[in-house]
Amino acid sequence: MNAPGTIERIAARHAGLAPSLGGGAAWARRRARSLDALVARGLPDRRDENWKYLDHARVAEYHFDAAPQAVVGPDELLPRLLPTAESRRVVLVDGRLDARLSDFAGTGGLEVLDIGQLLEQDPDGALALLRVPGEDADDRFALLADAFAASGVAIRVAPGAALRVPVCLVHVSTAATAAVHQARVVVEVGAGAKLTLVEHFVTLGAEAALGNLAGELAIGEQAEVVHLRLHEHAPAAAQVETWVARLAAGCRYDQHLLALGGRLLRSNLRLSLDGRAAACRLAGLFMADADRQVDLYTQVAHHGAATVTKQDYRGIAAGRGRGAFNGLIVVHPTARGADADQRSRNLLLSPLAEINARPQLEIHVDEVKCRHGATTGTLDEVQLFYLRSRGLDPAAARALLTFAFCQDMIGRLPLPELRAAAESLVAGALPDRELIRGLL
Amino acid sequence: MSDSGRMILEVRDLRVRAGERLILDGLSLAVRAGEVHAIMGPNGSGKSTLTGVLAGRPGYEVVSGSATYLGRDLLAMPPEERAREGLFLAFQYPVEIPGVNNVYLLKASLNALRKHRGEPELDAFEFLNLVRSRLTEMHMDESLLNRGVNEGFSGGEKKRNEILQMSLLQPTLALLDETDSGLDVDALREVAEGVNALRAPDRAIVLVTHYQRLLDHVVPDHVHVLAGGRIVTSGGRELALELDRRGYDWILEEAATA
Repeated sequence: MNAPGTIERIAARHAGLAPSLGGGAAWARRRARSLDALVARGLPDRRDENWKYLDHARVAEYHFDAAPQAVVGPDELLPRLLPTAESRRVVLVDGRLDARLSDFAGTGGLEVLDIGQLLEQDPDGALALLRVPGEDADDRFALLADAFAASGVAIRVAPGAALRVPVCLVHVSTAATAAVHQARVVVEVGAGAKLTLVEHFVTLGAEAALGNLAGELAIGEQAEVVHLRLHEHAPAAAQVETWVARLAAGCRYDQHLLALGGRLLRSNLRLSLDGRAAACRLAGLFMADADRQVDLYTQVAHHGAATVTKQDYRGIAAGRGRGAFNGLIVVHPTARGADADQRSRNLLLSPLAEINARPQLEIHVDEVKCRHGATTGTLDEVQLFYLRSRGLDPAAARALLTFAFCQDMIGRLPLPELRAAAESLVAGALPDRELIRGLL
Repeated sequence: MSDSGRMILEVRDLRVRAGERLILDGLSLAVRAGEVHAIMGPNGSGKSTLTGVLAGRPGYEVVSGSATYLGRDLLAMPPEERAREGLFLAFQYPVEIPGVNNVYLLKASLNALRKHRGEPELDAFEFLNLVRSRLTEMHMDESLLNRGVNEGFSGGEKKRNEILQMSLLQPTLALLDETDSGLDVDALREVAEGVNALRAPDRAIVLVTHYQRLLDHVVPDHVHVLAGGRIVTSGGRELALELDRRGYDWILEEAATA
């Protein structure tokens, strides 16, 4: 159930903010339509199939004011950036592109568009660029983003362009109040192009806001995209994201998600393998300790023949943490020869922790190769004894095994220079962080 | 080798149950400093239960009897304390731990023991030098250090890794549970060299084995035959040779009629 008044509060904030959001009459109409649809349907709640594990009361705690315009200095941000050997940088502060902190000019084949500017200068172009969200429950937070659409970024890679260095898209959250900031991200990768995109969510200051991101990704034929997504929010911060991805024939999409911070993360990914032999690999690792919540929903639709999904998600819950992995793979009648493999492995470290794993396969055609499996358990007693028999105390043995559970995923990260940073971030997110640091 | 060495391990009339089954049924054994004991026996005689109970493996119930290690009640100590006090078990089936770097475990283990003895932890440089010298002795490839513990190791590599750990930790009492099983001739000789290198007047070694071939390389002072959960006969090296020649049946028959 939506808490009473959430939608009313959203509508009231919209009435107050609408005149300042930009884009003229066309965008005023567009936002009003999205708001009307949202008001009519409400935010998703427990009764919606894919939303039953989320603590909706937590979402209702936010007051849906826009975050005040914050100024972030490079000195604050730079120490927080990932140690990529060399990269282009695109920085969104509370959903707005910050040109001063960004650094992407003069990169052949790369185009970066400020959606805020585009709304002012070319409202029709912005209308065409940004997807109109649907009304089903999984798209309602995207509707919310659309109703307040005012900022964000589009990243385009020209057909055939092979970007040599990664593009880092940094989402900075700053607001110290329970505000909500909206962001739009559009990533378009042309046919035959290559892109490594590192998305990094960080918090500066005493942040307590909810970030609501609506993202779109379109990958052209034979293109190759590596997408690393690192959520490293502060303990009070929250994030909801709705990604829609379309993959054309023969392309490769390799996503690595590390969900390590924030009090609430709800991540939706709807990915469509449209073209023949399009392939995606989805790797994920989440950690929910203290009273944190991580709720990951993925939906992969195989449309093209011989399309491939390899999904491997791991989750850890400790304390009173709650995690959910809900993954649906649908193989449509057109997807002959599809190959789908879905794994979910989860580790419970305390009696009050909870993980709901729900792998689902829906197959509408013969001649496909599909496997899935989910396990949720505690640490292995035989391994624990082995470590203790080597003199490690039980807490250290548990810490080492917990870290090992994550290490597998870190070892697969596509950018070797980020592995040490990821290792240290993961170690820092685990319950026995001091013990693990001592052991490494 | 002397019987006058201090008592390292004294097991008295030990009865141990695993689930409903009584596995050890009145086992007694005394191991003194400087000695190498071989415990031999047919499958199912309780060999692995004995080493498991002594090292603190969960899943056993001690019904009666005692095990005293360096004057302390061994069975009351948690496994990590046994290890820190110098007891080492080389596993029959070394456990694979993907994601735990072999070198992390070696370092954590060595430092846990040093800390317990009140010695400073080794810094990274000292530690690596020490490990490298042991690796060379064991004819092990350095690449094994940076793999997951036993992950994807061959049978021989796993056993060598156990001996590597042992030679690094320098235990007072080493229990080797069928360390010879599944080894080719070269690996067997190298494992035996590792064990022989540990022989010292202030340590003791207990080899648990089904076959006597390891004893060609590591010559024991005492040989015991374990059957039906107790030691049915003891002797010297010649007993192992006789077992190798005649099998276990005659011993079991003698024990049954005794």
